[in-house]
Amino acid sequence: MKLDDPRMVKWLWLGGMLLLVIVIVVDAFVPHHAHFERDGVTIDTLPEFFPLYGFLSGFLMVVVAKALGVALTRKDNFYGDD
Amino acid sequence: MAMIDLPPALVLMAGAVVMTAVRGRARWVVGLGAPLIALADCWYVITEGAESYLYFLGHALNPVHVHPATPVFATIFCIAALGGMLFSLHQDRRVEQSASLWHAGGALGVVFAGDMVTLLVFWELMTLGSLVVIWSGGQKHSYGAGLRYFGMHALGGVALMMGIIIVVTQRISDGSADPLVFTHFAEFAAGWPGLSWDTVGIWLVLVGMLVNVGAPPFSPWIADAYPEGSFSGTVVLSAFTTKTAVFTLLVAFAGFEALIYLGLWMACYGIVYAILENDMRRILAYSIVNQVGFMMVGIGVGTKLSIDGTAAHAFAHIVYKGLLMMSAGSVLAATGKRKCTELGGLYRTMPITMWCGIIGALAISSFPLTSGFTTKSMIVDSIGEQSELLAQAGVSHTHLIVAWFLLEAATAGVFLHAGIKFPWFVFFQKDSGLRPPDPPWNMRTAMIGFAAICIVLGIFPGILYDILPYKLEAGEYSKVVYSFEHVMTMLALLLFGGLAFFVLLPILKRKETITLDWDWLWRAFIPRLYREVLTPLLEMAQKAQKTVLETLPGKSMEDSRLPAPLARKLGSAWAVSVPVLLIVLMLLVYLVIYFVVPSI
Repeated sequence: MKLDDPRMVKWLWLGGMLLLVIVIVVDAFVPHHAHFERDGVTIDTLPEFFPLYGFLSGFLMVVVAKALGVALTRKDNFYGDD
Repeated sequence: MAMIDLPPALVLMAGAVVMTAVRGRARWVVGLGAPLIALADCWYVITEGAESYLYFLGHALNPVHVHPATPVFATIFCIAALGGMLFSLHQDRRVEQSASLWHAGGALGVVFAGDMVTLLVFWELMTLGSLVVIWSGGQKHSYGAGLRYFGMHALGGVALMMGIIIVVTQRISDGSADPLVFTHFAEFAAGWPGLSWDTVGIWLVLVGMLVNVGAPPFSPWIADAYPEGSFSGTVVLSAFTTKTAVFTLLVAFAGFEALIYLGLWMACYGIVYAILENDMRRILAYSIVNQVGFMMVGIGVGTKLSIDGTAAHAFAHIVYKGLLMMSAGSVLAATGKRKCTELGGLYRTMPITMWCGIIGALAISSFPLTSGFTTKSMIVDSIGEQSELLAQAGVSHTHLIVAWFLLEAATAGVFLHAGIKFPWFVFFQKDSGLRPPDPPWNMRTAMIGFAAICIVLGIFPGILYDILPYKLEAGEYSKVVYSFEHVMTMLALLLFGGLAFFVLLPILKRKETITLDWDWLWRAFIPRLYREVLTPLLEMAQKAQKTVLETLPGKSMEDSRLPAPLARKLGSAWAVSVPVLLIVLMLLVYLVIYFVVPSI
């Protein structure tokens, strides 16, 4: 692979973005069934729910991890060199 | 009594013993032959369906019982042993290789255990094997991590043993015909069983199993011990202990609701800790907890589809996790480095390792056309199915709805912490200046073989569905798994979860840190308590005791010592006063409890 070539990297980024756009466009036309219809939960049938949910989940997990990390991370020799 | 069929576990264990003695090419024959013969023996036992009994203290032991989930677990354990040995055999590490076979043998013994004594025996033999694998790891922390691992599993083993003894004793007094039988504890599937003297044995069995499965607060042993194996030892370690525990929970506690909550916790914990981690193999170890969390939810839901999903996911997980550990192991073997901060840019010279790592990463993320997609989805979808049934019956099931949304979020999180993070920081990221080559042929073959399994199971899931506990449910599922809606839903979740990774990349840069966990309690807090509180207290007590003794008439303390020559022979003199003092304190506590709780 020629990842040292900035043009290649640029094409890869563009390809990735294109993929995301395709998913957004297609998702608008996918008929989503509600997993919990009897319970009145239908949020998962909204168009673009899953792209948004995926992004927010990933985003939140990183943010929560970083926030916890402030309190919980230590230098990696914290427990000494047993 | 029928003829005793050969328990497949013994094939691997015999291989382990022979392995210690052979040299040269014979090592290859034993290392690869033992798992293959064990696999053949497994399927002989499974298809013959033979039960054979040994008699022990008047009870029937059954070391070759086929539980509904035995075929799938037995098959994957043999495949994992085969792959692990192939990955390792070019190096002369007899102790580790022999212990690996022994460890795998113990796991195989558990999945064929028809009674709880056999279960316990193989459970402990398995732990011994893995301890030796960790100790022969040769990493900086191998010895300490091994000790902690052993301490944790010894405690778990004791809980399991006490539980089994109590359960069996109760069954005998209830007049049970087969008191040792290892089977489902129906009391725990029918709602919250409560903590009473009738169920304390079952609770202890549960605790013993939860230690091995890595449930909170026992999770830290996984990320502590596994990465301290050698580059090849960790591949073997990642396969057996937790998945054996998944198997036993599947048999004994299917449908126990608390496992859903533990599983959800584990799925999220694994992601958060992996995001903060710098060591590539610890990232993968945390993601074991995350993946086993999915399986725990499946066990807790306890329907046919969720049990099939759990068994299938365990199978797929062992393969892709083994593959990821092989990929990381190849990097470690070639560079001697484990930290993301020291790695990067290895795609240039390790293309096979990189591609195999990426395939493992896609599979763990459950991308369509990989094994994760066709197995993990079964667990998640079983939640929706069960909710539907409970809604029809008018039973409250809010927890299932929450579980579904959390698992969907965790699915995106898996792609982020294992699917992208591992390959990104190891093979791309920055140029670390390292130019290691791909590993030797046997390591490459093992990786390519496991990568192929990931893809074949993604495209032809029927092969795996056919050996699941409830084949028909899985057969129905194979019709919907590749529906357009399902594929698009997964792609949307994953790709946008991945987008979050790249958007947040600046704050994801790794630093040389570890993250505190429950193990802080026993690695820092308790030792400190011992040093700074208990020791001074004991010293004070000792002084007081000595003063009292010296004021007493009669022999002085000096005279009661052993004569010097005898003391040299027997070793140095030990002060007995501290243990005696501790025992007196314990008796005091017992006395207090005895009066406070009169029913004991």
